[in-house]
Amino acid sequence: MFDYYLRLALCRCRQNVPMMLLLVLTMAIGIASCMTAMTIFRALSGAPLPGVSPYLHVATMDAREAVDKDNPDYKRPDSLLKLADAKALVDAHRAVQQVAVAQSLTRLGNPDGDTSSQAYGLMAYGPALQTFGVPLRYGRPWTEAEQSSNAPVVVIDTHVAQKLFGTDDAVGRSVTLGQRSFRVIGVIAPWAPRMQIFNLGQNAGGVTGQDENFFVPAQASLDAGVGPFTSGECGKDAPVVSFQSATVAQCRWMETWVRLGTRAQVDAYDRFLAGYANAQHDAGRFAYPPQATLYGTQAWMTLNHVVPDDVHLNLILAGGFLLLCLVNVAGLLAARFLRRQGDVAIRRALGASKRDVFMQHLVETGLLGLAGGVLALPLTWLGLWIVHMQPVSYADAARFSPDTFVVLFALSVAVGLLVGILPAWRVCRQPPALQIKIA
Amino acid sequence: MRHIVKPLLRHRMMPLLVVLQVALACAIACNALFLLQQKLVPIVSPDGVGHPDRLLVAWNIAPRGQPWPTSRLGQVASELRAIPGVTSTSVAGSWPMETVAQMNGSVMGEGEHAARADAAVYIGNHMVDTLGLKLVAGRDFSAAEEGVAYTGIGIDASGPAIITRALANRLFPGGDALGHVVRIGDQADAGRRTVVGVVEHLMRNKFGQDDRENIDYSMLFPGIPSNWPMPVFAVRARSAAEVDGVLGAVKAAIKRDLGPDMIQGIDPAYETYGRLRDRALAQSRAAVWLLSGVSLVVLVVTLVGIMGLTGYWVQQRTRQIGVRRALGARRRNILREVQLENLLVVGSGVLLGLASAYAVNLWLMRHYELARLPWQYLPLGAALMLLLGQLAVLSPALRASRVPPVVATRSV
Repeated sequence: MFDYYLRLALCRCRQNVPMMLLLVLTMAIGIASCMTAMTIFRALSGAPLPGVSPYLHVATMDAREAVDKDNPDYKRPDSLLKLADAKALVDAHRAVQQVAVAQSLTRLGNPDGDTSSQAYGLMAYGPALQTFGVPLRYGRPWTEAEQSSNAPVVVIDTHVAQKLFGTDDAVGRSVTLGQRSFRVIGVIAPWAPRMQIFNLGQNAGGVTGQDENFFVPAQASLDAGVGPFTSGECGKDAPVVSFQSATVAQCRWMETWVRLGTRAQVDAYDRFLAGYANAQHDAGRFAYPPQATLYGTQAWMTLNHVVPDDVHLNLILAGGFLLLCLVNVAGLLAARFLRRQGDVAIRRALGASKRDVFMQHLVETGLLGLAGGVLALPLTWLGLWIVHMQPVSYADAARFSPDTFVVLFALSVAVGLLVGILPAWRVCRQPPALQIKIA
Repeated sequence: MRHIVKPLLRHRMMPLLVVLQVALACAIACNALFLLQQKLVPIVSPDGVGHPDRLLVAWNIAPRGQPWPTSRLGQVASELRAIPGVTSTSVAGSWPMETVAQMNGSVMGEGEHAARADAAVYIGNHMVDTLGLKLVAGRDFSAAEEGVAYTGIGIDASGPAIITRALANRLFPGGDALGHVVRIGDQADAGRRTVVGVVEHLMRNKFGQDDRENIDYSMLFPGIPSNWPMPVFAVRARSAAEVDGVLGAVKAAIKRDLGPDMIQGIDPAYETYGRLRDRALAQSRAAVWLLSGVSLVVLVVTLVGIMGLTGYWVQQRTRQIGVRRALGARRRNILREVQLENLLVVGSGVLLGLASAYAVNLWLMRHYELARLPWQYLPLGAALMLLLGQLAVLSPALRASRVPPVVATRSV
């Protein structure tokens, strides 16, 4: 039965080719624009660290130690803490895992001094690799003993290892970081969060995550004269912003990330955090009521507008446009079907049930939808290519991925059936006798 | 009128589909055109800068550790000034079209009910000459004013200011702004700036959601900001031919004087102001193309849709039209009737569309940083859709009017 309907549909499509092309093209444009916007949206809306970031939370509090007349209301949550506070939170071990980190940009060199590499990395207090789930290729992460003794140890990625030593397995080699020589204890695969999650308050405009080429214990790095890229928020007497400075004792520059499994753990940690912050306020260190809050990664990214509004607006626009195309095609199909009431009447008179007629027309629109989907494929590719060429911060996300095919296929069939329901129902509704009379 | 409305009510599906289509298209087009207009503002507004191809800008010149001392910046600037072919140099905290460093704030006149405005503040020396701004009232800063030594960035300090004409009109609607005082912020100890000059235009370096006027709200303060980690150097060349030579000398001088203490891994950027502007506006330009493309396709799709549906609707009634013609209706009557019918159907779609355009805008405003849809867009959108409807119905209506009366006698 199905292939009979299919042959009927093909036959009818051939009868009026321009009309069919118009229908297919309209659907294809609608589907392609929606697919383009959706691909970008999907690329930017998943977990920044799959399997890990859903359990990660960042601690925020108003940790300012002096009155700030420019921002007395603490306009938005602030994740930057002094090293001392970050250490206290990490050392409390109240979460499953916890680490304080800061972004650094510096030069890593090999001991001969003949090769060096500009590298982004994280200065960390605590088990950074474990907390963020960074996969180790060789070696091991640093131990608590190494951290507390400020041992000069570093974990680098294979990219830096290749560049400095010409091999992936650089464990045991020495790397010059600032004024000191650091021993490589581990090598990781190239690692970057899919989207920007660190230091969002001072990192406006970045969408895709930064490759982190090295991980180093914070204190050892400071001892070697390598500080965070920006020194965050410093006290009133210190400069407004300064770069790559290792004298950051007066500054709030570290972010504390904790890994928590269950809702109960989150609640418990929230209480612990509020308790810690309030104690600092009561002791007179924090100038304002701290309003300590724990943010999940996703909520934190939303709050800081990591994904530009344009991405959402374009998706809404594309969705609206697809809807318009659907109504349009439904109307044209209704006109097309109703013009053929005569054929339907004869089929009905010969014994076809309403259901048969309905199915026959649905097969036809489903076929058109599929054709629209096939045409939408190159159009989507074109759309993504155009976006990729644009000077927008999310251009990198505009890439054709295999699962786009699946979504596209499902979407086009759904579209074909959806636009067919109303016309098909309309055409099978009328009684055969009346239709024959008209015909 | 009744003979037009009645059939519409009897056969509801076709008109309803047209209404729905028009409503959707209207809602999308209104919002898309509004977004388009906003993205267009920085592209079409004058930025006030003269000879953009002769102005060289150097930025991303950040020191490792402490910010550069102003004396050192001044020293570099005077070396740049000595380069042959250079007519003017400036050291500033932020620069038009350079969005890495921005200073924006709420400024207001003196007094209880003073007008306020959200303005960009540019602090730097010799900016009027270097930017090539056109003074329309008052004077440029004096040498003594340019020599001011700030303790901080200078935004809280009092002193003279040059403002744009748009800002002057906003803050001092009474007329002459010269000699009046602008307060920089709400605090009691906020800086108080006396207006000494008014320039024709100067665009702010924060884009997005601006209408024509407030993208031109800018102020200039004299002197070199101190304690500012990201200074901008700007150099104006005498002629376009000398730009390349000057650029090489500027690069060399900055590298020699400041290079050893610069941050590692981020290199200084040098560009002519014209190129800088192109890059800064590239994103807006891309959005303009996207939105105009979408708007156009929406209109075309709607046009085709209305045409197809009306064509069928007319064909369905060929016999009735024939009867009417046989009974004495003239071609013109039939044409007018079909057009009027379309006007009714599209009109109700437009009403629905305008309501949903407004609702969509309200929803977007709640969730995104978006301005309110100006009411002017509603009649504009309505007119556009009605026009589109008439355009779409023209061919089916003409076809209807050509139905010969003899059709009435056939196959009844």
